[in-house]
Amino acid sequence: MAYHTAVYLAFFLPAALVAYQLSPKKMRRVVLLSAGYFFFWLISRELVLYLIGTTIFTYYIGVWLGWMKLRYQTEAAAASGEEQAGIRKQYKRKERWILTGSVLVLVGILAWLKYYNFFAGNLNALLRISGSAVSIAEKDILLPIGISFYTLQAIGYMADVYWEKVPAEKNLGKLALFLGFFPQIMEGPISMYSQTADALWEGNPLKEENLSKGSVRILWGLFKKMIIADRLYVLVSAVFEHYEDYSGLVIAAAAVAYTVQLYMEFSGCMDIVIGSGRMFGVILPENFNQPFASGNAAEFWRRWHMTLGVWFKTYIFYPVSVSSMVKKWNRFGRKHLGKYVAKLGVSAIALFPVWLLNGLWHGPQWNYIFYGMYYFAILLGGVALEAVRSKALSLLHANEHALYWRIPQILKTWVIIFVGELFFRANGLLAGLRMFVSMFQDFTFEDLWNGTLLRLGLDMADYLAVAAGCLVVACVGMIKERKLLGEAGLQAFRTPVRWGLYYGLIFAVIIFGAYGVGYQQVDLIYANF
Amino acid sequence: MRISKNFLFFLILLLLLAGSSGWASKAARDKRLRKTGVKAATQLKMEPNHTIDVLVVGDSLSYSSVAPLRIWKDYGITAFVCGQPGQKVRETYDALKAAMKCQTPKLLILETNVLFRRQGGMDELGETVAETGGRYFPVFQHHDIWKSFLKDFTEKIHKKKSYKGFEIRSTVRSYEKGIYMKESSKSTEMGKNAERYLDDIVALCKEKNIKLLLLSTPSPKNYNYRKHNTLREYAQTNALAYLDMNLETDRIGIDWKADSLDRGDHLNLSGACKVTDYLGKYLAGPEWKLTDHRGDKAYQAWEEASAKFEKIVSKRLVKMKGKR
Repeated sequence: MAYHTAVYLAFFLPAALVAYQLSPKKMRRVVLLSAGYFFFWLISRELVLYLIGTTIFTYYIGVWLGWMKLRYQTEAAAASGEEQAGIRKQYKRKERWILTGSVLVLVGILAWLKYYNFFAGNLNALLRISGSAVSIAEKDILLPIGISFYTLQAIGYMADVYWEKVPAEKNLGKLALFLGFFPQIMEGPISMYSQTADALWEGNPLKEENLSKGSVRILWGLFKKMIIADRLYVLVSAVFEHYEDYSGLVIAAAAVAYTVQLYMEFSGCMDIVIGSGRMFGVILPENFNQPFASGNAAEFWRRWHMTLGVWFKTYIFYPVSVSSMVKKWNRFGRKHLGKYVAKLGVSAIALFPVWLLNGLWHGPQWNYIFYGMYYFAILLGGVALEAVRSKALSLLHANEHALYWRIPQILKTWVIIFVGELFFRANGLLAGLRMFVSMFQDFTFEDLWNGTLLRLGLDMADYLAVAAGCLVVACVGMIKERKLLGEAGLQAFRTPVRWGLYYGLIFAVIIFGAYGVGYQQVDLIYANF
Repeated sequence: MRISKNFLFFLILLLLLAGSSGWASKAARDKRLRKTGVKAATQLKMEPNHTIDVLVVGDSLSYSSVAPLRIWKDYGITAFVCGQPGQKVRETYDALKAAMKCQTPKLLILETNVLFRRQGGMDELGETVAETGGRYFPVFQHHDIWKSFLKDFTEKIHKKKSYKGFEIRSTVRSYEKGIYMKESSKSTEMGKNAERYLDDIVALCKEKNIKLLLLSTPSPKNYNYRKHNTLREYAQTNALAYLDMNLETDRIGIDWKADSLDRGDHLNLSGACKVTDYLGKYLAGPEWKLTDHRGDKAYQAWEEASAKFEKIVSKRLVKMKGKR
């Protein structure tokens, strides 16, 4: 039961809203939590026990960390000034061990369920190469839905308690709701405890404004998913699944089409998720902010899958950046190799785990690891060339915000994104490399108008619907980017105009949506990660 | 005030839905505009009326396994695959009814994988919602009628490439998991909706005097002995012919290293040629009484299409062998 399906939109969500509103205030949190577990159970059945187990485990680790902090405070209060530092160090070390151990447990469960077969397969390949007859049996392992998302939220919560950003939660139900809010289960957004836990727990009554804004946001998500993404799926599958049959412009077109499909699908799903949350009065964090307006790869990642980026930045990048190893390197590098190399080294040490984990997080495939390393290399290259870039700007007296500078930068970033997504979608790293090479073979612009693109499952009408849909999304993106509507958003318009827009949106989805006979229901891409 | 405003919003929406539904229903009855969403069915409409003797329906297994122009080359039988990716049995039934309007096949071949598609309660509920929505507001059902206004474009495209519904796919991704048809006395149930629609298809075939063949094409990912038992039992109960090629892979000559498109899900061109040759021979048997149209001037276009198709197939097969 994905978020864009009739069952979710016509039954599950309305039923949850009605049950929530009809319940007394204190019972509303129970309704939300039950809805979350029921939603999970509908998709993953008994695997909901993994979510419950993770919740209980995370709760007690939080309680343990909180108790340690309390004990430290009691002991420190009774100790002299000199002793206090020692006690602090001692407790900090113990807490670090608790956090490290618990993170390893959660990551271990994730690794077992998601990566066991990947490691077994690669190990077997190595053993075969070395001539060994030994092999590790691969297993049929069922993966609970959304495990990659709720595991990150759980780790984030424990780290926040460790860093004293949030107090340890005393109420198991509140933590359970934070990890099991049904709109977030399948694809995030990955929120921090301080962002959503309180709002979820409050149980405020439904408000007309929230219902209205939430509904429009859901419709907007359906527009992106059903008109654009689900249409492009046909072309993307045709080329990526049978890439040996294609070359040149068709491969390039498929890479572009997949990038657009992924954006429209993932951001469309986020619109539905955020809209669903909004209906309950919960403001979930945004995951996209016009990523195709980015001038470089670093900016792109600040605008694309933002909550994952923030998570990696908060829980991997910063801790590594201030670790003693990096500090030591920085001191050594500055002394012996100069400021520039030291800075580059620091960036490399901090960025490498982030991008390796980013790649791995997406799934147990080499092309995902390559995808992570691809961005690692590009971002590190960006750091290395930063000085050259600044010098070039000042020599040319160029304004980096001016369109003549910005547009080529944006186009360059598009190329980086398209190539990255080609590897991301390919059926394995080898297939990605082959596709990349074949993109330069038999490349002819004639394929744009000689009917080649019309043999990939989409007819002219489909292309027109996709183009019109993209144009609408681009216009809305531009309005948002330039903040033309202000805080009020659509509410700034008079009722007839606003209603006209709503009806337009509803009928655009009904008429141009890729559903019904002749179309396949397309599963959510990120639900598999 | 707020309540009446909200009421007005939904009232207008309802009126718009009713109005657009009326328009869509009218447009759907217009023969010049009517167009089914199944692309293969659009291609079928471009065939001269009453020239197709064998109609193949089903999901992607149908059009990746059966190559009608190859059957023509060897036996002169006119076949057409009216398949659709991820087709559900309800859509199969609809496609069949649409096809009957311009063709009078003597034999219907149903690729049986559609009968086991999506059986979860949620999927059935979703289908029911869609059906109900379409019944009360036909704009949902005929929503892509707007495409008919661009018919000139689409027809040109379909004319450019038509292998009578078959799709040439030459990727090779081997299936390596070994035997998948392990004998068993158990059976897998078809979905409730699936069996109901299959009954409807059987009834429709009886009414139109069309023979029905249930066909399971080789696919380790989609078939097993439990499904075989279910289908065999249904065929026996309803006195239908059932050909399970998954039990015949050795005789057909399937080499899972070379003939699989995607690790045991679909067949590639090489596998499809083998399956088609086997099926052609089977259909040429006396019990089917299918006419050999070769030499008949009315079917000259088939000769030309078949020659072109064979040329492309030979080239692709050589290329595929080269890759191995």
